[in-house]
Amino acid sequence: MDVLNIFSRQRESRKKLEQQRARLYRIAYAWTHNPALADDLAQEALAKALQKSGQLRDPAAFDAWLYSILANCYYDHFRRLRESEDIDDIVLAHDVTPEHESGAREIVHKVRAAIARLPGGQRQVVTLVDIEGFSYMEVAQILSIPIGTVMSRLCRARGALKQDLLRDLARPAAAPEVNLRRIK
Amino acid sequence: MSHEKFSDEFLNAFVDGELAPEEKSRVLLDMSQDEALNRRVCELKTLHDLVRTGYQNPPQSGSTPRATGDTRYRANIAAAVTLAFGILLGWLLREPVGLRTAAGPAPSQMPAPDTRTAGAAARAAPGDAAPARVLIHINDNNAVHLAQALDEVEALLAYYRAHRQNAVVEVVVNGAGLDLVRADVSAFPDRVEALLKEHRNLTIAACQNTIERLAREAGIAAQLLPGVTVIDSGVAQIMRRQQQGWAYIQV
Repeated sequence: MDVLNIFSRQRESRKKLEQQRARLYRIAYAWTHNPALADDLAQEALAKALQKSGQLRDPAAFDAWLYSILANCYYDHFRRLRESEDIDDIVLAHDVTPEHESGAREIVHKVRAAIARLPGGQRQVVTLVDIEGFSYMEVAQILSIPIGTVMSRLCRARGALKQDLLRDLARPAAAPEVNLRRIK
Repeated sequence: MSHEKFSDEFLNAFVDGELAPEEKSRVLLDMSQDEALNRRVCELKTLHDLVRTGYQNPPQSGSTPRATGDTRYRANIAAAVTLAFGILLGWLLREPVGLRTAAGPAPSQMPAPDTRTAGAAARAAPGDAAPARVLIHINDNNAVHLAQALDEVEALLAYYRAHRQNAVVEVVVNGAGLDLVRADVSAFPDRVEALLKEHRNLTIAACQNTIERLAREAGIAAQLLPGVTVIDSGVAQIMRRQQQGWAYIQV
């Protein structure tokens, strides 16, 4: 029956969307390190994606298209806050002190703290490539930047992460350090 | 130091699988002979894995609608199915094409709850007194876009009506989008009028600046369709609405 089909389809696509939501949330969280904000951004991106679903010509490009909407929501958020500085200049503070954590959790916190210290543009590129496995070309489309910029941002991001993480992990018992950062 | 012939960008591309097979084998060959190069690649791979690990289980927001939405979905399913079944059946019998727009590709059914909450920090449960507020912005006169925009408006309003959700939808037209509501040139005058007549919670607002510009530059006195309101400036209205927490959708 038609109506029953509609319901089962609706349920399926709801499930599919929930899966997308989790992925969008993960990236939004990696960009903002703020669960509530990441949640809002993922939600907003999904809503926009659904509204604009007619504009998607090539279903194969769905992922890149969806994340470009998320990136726009992210930029809009900063615009709404009337933050006029370049997104690259925004440095997020990370309030977790990993000293009391152990093992795997400590690594996770260190990684997040290091990512949070990256400039916004680099953070976006490195998370899209490493977490979601997007190709450079797709990242360029998502963020509307040239592919050369993707490569240079990725290179700078990994350079900074290397300094921050590899050196740190090599000396796990290092003295506790306090990172004070200015929040804009 | 043969490894220095590879730039960091190049090695990143190698680690991320962006190189052509030929270039890839060149790096692999060099790696087997060059300890330092091997270490550089290994570090990059480790960083890649670390970032991945760092976000495998991101902390969930306390108010995440995933949990509440899912529970809500299950809890209300019996009531919702009964209610929606009747309403959808009504729609189906009334206007088969309309149903396809409103419920056919399932996603178009669902933007509403997302849109309702988009941008707002607080999440309201369905049936909450706070109305969903959606602004749809149209600024071009491409007939396909306009038809699509009207489809969206119709589907959105139908959704809210079917789910008895309190909602207000405002369509702001400016620039070339003004054509939609100009009595002399509108491609869909009947549809616009019918929508306005049928839905009290729909406003279509035309930009006064655009109307004035049309008069000034083309000498055209725009005659608007009945029911269309005029606002000082489309852009200013969009900004006002966004500041008030409206969901903004550009079609």
